[in-house]
Order: sequence, then C-alpha cells, then structure tokens
Amino acid sequence: MEFRLVLQQIINGLSLGAIYSLIAVGFAMIFNILKFSNFAHGGVLGFSAYAGFLAATKLGLPLFPVILVGMLTGAVTAIIIEFIAFRWIRKRNGQLVYFFVTSITMLMLLQQILIIYFGKAFDYYPITLIKTKVVHLGELTIATNYILTLIATVLAFSLLTWVLKKTKVGIAIRAASNDLVATGLMGINADFIVLATFAVSGMLGGLSGVLYGLSASLTPQIGQIVVKGFIASVLGGLGSLTGVAIAAFALGLIEVFLIATIGSGLSPVVIFFIMVVFLLVRPQGVAGQSFVDKA
Amino acid sequence: MAYYLTVSTSIAIVLISVMGTHLLTGMNGMFSLGQAAFMGLGAYTASILVVTFGVPFPIAVVASILVTLVVAYFVGFATLRIRQDFFALALFGFGQAMIGLFTELVQLTGGAHGFTNIPRITTPTLAFVSLAVVIFIVWSIRRSHFGRDSLAIRGNDMAAKSSGIDIFKHRMVIFMISSAFAAYAGVLLAFYNRYIDSNSFGWMISVTWIIIVFFGGRDSLIGTLLGGVILLVLPEVLRFASEWRITLYCITILFIINVMPKGLFGSIKLPKFVKQLFTKKQQEAE
Repeated sequence: MEFRLVLQQIINGLSLGAIYSLIAVGFAMIFNILKFSNFAHGGVLGFSAYAGFLAATKLGLPLFPVILVGMLTGAVTAIIIEFIAFRWIRKRNGQLVYFFVTSITMLMLLQQILIIYFGKAFDYYPITLIKTKVVHLGELTIATNYILTLIATVLAFSLLTWVLKKTKVGIAIRAASNDLVATGLMGINADFIVLATFAVSGMLGGLSGVLYGLSASLTPQIGQIVVKGFIASVLGGLGSLTGVAIAAFALGLIEVFLIATIGSGLSPVVIFFIMVVFLLVRPQGVAGQSFVDKA
Repeated sequence: MAYYLTVSTSIAIVLISVMGTHLLTGMNGMFSLGQAAFMGLGAYTASILVVTFGVPFPIAVVASILVTLVVAYFVGFATLRIRQDFFALALFGFGQAMIGLFTELVQLTGGAHGFTNIPRITTPTLAFVSLAVVIFIVWSIRRSHFGRDSLAIRGNDMAAKSSGIDIFKHRMVIFMISSAFAAYAGVLLAFYNRYIDSNSFGWMISVTWIIIVFFGGRDSLIGTLLGGVILLVLPEVLRFASEWRITLYCITILFIINVMPKGLFGSIKLPKFVKQLFTKKQQEAE
C-alpha cells in the first residue's frame, strides 16, 4: 500500500476505534461494579442513535443538540434498564447468570421496539447535519465526521477522567468498582452509585450511538455493534478503563486493516484468533489486573 | 396435520440442542454464545459430505460429530480455563468467526446464498427418537456422580476443586458433549429443511437456547423441556402479531426471571432421587 493510503487507513481505524472505545468503556464501567457483561448496553446505543435521528429529522436540531439528545436518551434508557432488569435481581442477591439472561433479553426487547417503530429499513441522519463533508490536510482527505468522532471521544474521556478522579460521585463509583458491598457499608448509598454508573455509561453509550449513526447508517440492529466493545474489553482487561480504551483503538485499527486486506467476511476469524491468543498468553488483558474469583 | 407434524419435528430438533445447553448452561453455569456455531458446523459438514462428496448419510453424521468434537476440544482448550464472562465472550467471537468462514468459503458452503439441494433424510420418527435418546443421556448424566460434580462446580468452583474435582477436565467433557448435541441437531435440521445458510447459526440463536433453559427452570430437566415447547410453539401461535411477538416474548422472560427466578417449572422434578439431591443442596446453601 502507498504511504498516503496507509495514513488514510490509520485515520479511519482510529475513528472506528474511538467509537469502539466509547462503547467498551461504558460497558466496562458496569462490569466493574456489578461484575456481569451488560448486553443491554447495545440497546442503549440503539435507542440513543434513533433519538438523535428523530431530533435531527423531526425537530431539525443542529449537530450539537442532537448529540446532547442522544447522550440524555442514553442515560435515561440505561437507568430504566437498571430499574426493570437488574434492580430486583440485585436486591435478591441473585446469581450473576440472571443478570446475564436479563441483559440479553433487554437487548432483544429494545431492538424489537426499534423494529416496531422504525421498520427494518435503513435510515440516515440528514446530510445537512455536517456541513463540510471533508477536510483537506495536505494530500490527505479526511471525512469531517471522523474528526468529529475523535474530538468528541477525547472530550468525553477527559470529562470522564475528571468526574472519576475529582468529584464525590466519581470517587464513590471507583470505590464501588472495588467492592460494592463494602462501599455500601461505608455509608455510601449503593443504589444511587449504581444508578449514577448506569447514567454515565448510558451517556457514553448514547454518544457512541449518535457518532456511529453519523458515520454509518441506522438499522434497529445497530445495537449489535456493542460486541466489538466486548471484544475490546476482553483484550483490554476489564479492570482498567484505560486498558479497555487502548485495546478498543487497537481493535479499530486492526479491523480497518483486515477489511482492507482480507475483506470484511474473514476479519472476524482473525479477530477471534487474536482474542484466543490473547486470552491464553495474557488473560488479564493489556493493562488490567487479573480478577481472582473468591470462594 | 402435516403442518403440525412439520412444526413439532422442527421443535424436536431444536430441543436436542437445547438439551446440550441445559447441560452446559443449566447444570454447569457456562454461557456459550457460540453454541449455534457448532450446530452450523455439524450441518455444513454433513451437507457437504453427502451432497458434494456423495458420502452415505450415517457416515456423514458420525464424521460431522467427530469434526465438531475436535473443534470443540481446541476451542475448549483455549477458553475453558478463563473466567466465565470471558468464556461467554470468547465463544461469541468463535461464533462470529465460524459464520465468517461459512459465508466466505463460497466454494464449499455456497456462501451467502446458502447451501441448497440437500436431500430430505430426516424423518419425524428419526427426530423424535433422537430427542428421546438425547433426553435419556442428559437424564443419566444428571443422576450420575459426574452430574453431581457439575452442580458442585456450578455452586462454588473453588470448593469443588478442593474436593478433588478436576474442573478443567469436567468442563471439557461437558462442553464437548453439548457441542456434539448441537452438531447432531444441526445435521437433522439441514436434512429436514433441505437448506442451510450461515445466518441461521448466529449468536442470537445460542441466546434463545439459554433463555429457554432459564425460562423453564435450569434445575429441572422436565422444566427445560416444557419451557422449550412453550417458547418454541409461542411464535407459531402468535403468528397474527408477528411484530409484537418477540416483544411479548421478552417481557414474559423478564417477568419470569424477576418474579420466579427458578423458572416457570423450576419446582417440577421427575425422579425422586434428583429431588433429594436438590433439597439437600438447598439446605447446604442456607
């Protein structure tokens, strides 16, 4: 490949990786607190993407309010999911397997609601939402929504880091990731922390939904892209949000190059082998501490 | 009448793989999101052997199960030592990889157009007899020492390990048996529908099987079977409301899991000694 093309692919890969990292970090936050894989995150993503779509087409809002609508919808959807699917099981100290089943069921349910209202056809964000289509940078031509994705991701992660390190809620969330029960015993309202985590993860999911909708088309099955976030979180080690984000960027790059070289059909095969090798060699992920199940 | 026979045969075939999921997920607490890929592996191997290479059907069945066992061994070797969440996700990746292969190996599998011209060899009798045999195997495993080891591992794998159970080996055996069931169901399905395509083996299919197990009650074999019959018949009955069907399905499942965590038929037990096994286990848990 020509150098210019390689550079172009790197930018495409980074932008895809940015979306994956938003998904993966939102997913990993829930995992850290409740220790289960939240498939319903895909439903949050789909709902927000369509909420942004409605805001842009029906209300004719410009780009930034559309993103905000998406993030808000994400937070609200995530909180509703927590109330419907997870709260009762958590109160009952139910086994992890029940979380697993309800979260997958929620994903199917939300996806089905989208199918009922929007049909199975493809939808597109209005083309006027981003005025300039491409930016010329020397010899490179970069799509504006790739730049937007990268900037939005950097902003979102900076904000997330600030919230987690400096605010009271953020510190409580980090404490709860360590041990939810002990956090509750220390006089922190555990229910509120779980809700706050779902809200934050929902916002990240909403952002990723709108950004993905902007760079691709919308279908009710859009939520299934969340699995790329799962793979990234496995590679990154679920314990460390930084590791997860880095792994997601790497996954985006790898995927773009695989699609360019061997095609989109076989790239899952290679990604699976990378995942297996990774799990065998370094089960704790790039940066994560290993989880040891206590008896 | 023919319609009912077709529907019930398809349900019997699916229930064979659900029995595999009952072993793997219900009794051992391992979530395989790639179980349907084993079904696809069995279906494609047998179809290619019979249609392309003219191998007799019984040999093709044995060969496809052997191929699946080998693949399951290697997949299990790589994934069974890791945490259960990672196992589920790794198997998900495996499922995606297999579907990628089914779609891309156009010469062998017909690619996205699917594999056609499969003769109809599966008869309703074959399907029902196979289901009965599979149920008997699962029932025997449940009452055996081996099956009790499963419950011990599911309850607390560290305690099971310190009681001298080789967890890795145990999980491997269970994983291979359930994959073989899925593969056999895949063979029956291919030679009943006379057509297969890669989309019918996606991860949502595996999820449906897991949901069936939990819907009926994972501690009860008869519950899983009844739950499976209900959930698989429901789509046929609710055909008039196809759009709302899955919505209703999901709401029912959420309700059942929230309100009756043991599943719809969780308290129904067939044999008495299994019942004793469970009551004893509950006392220990308390």
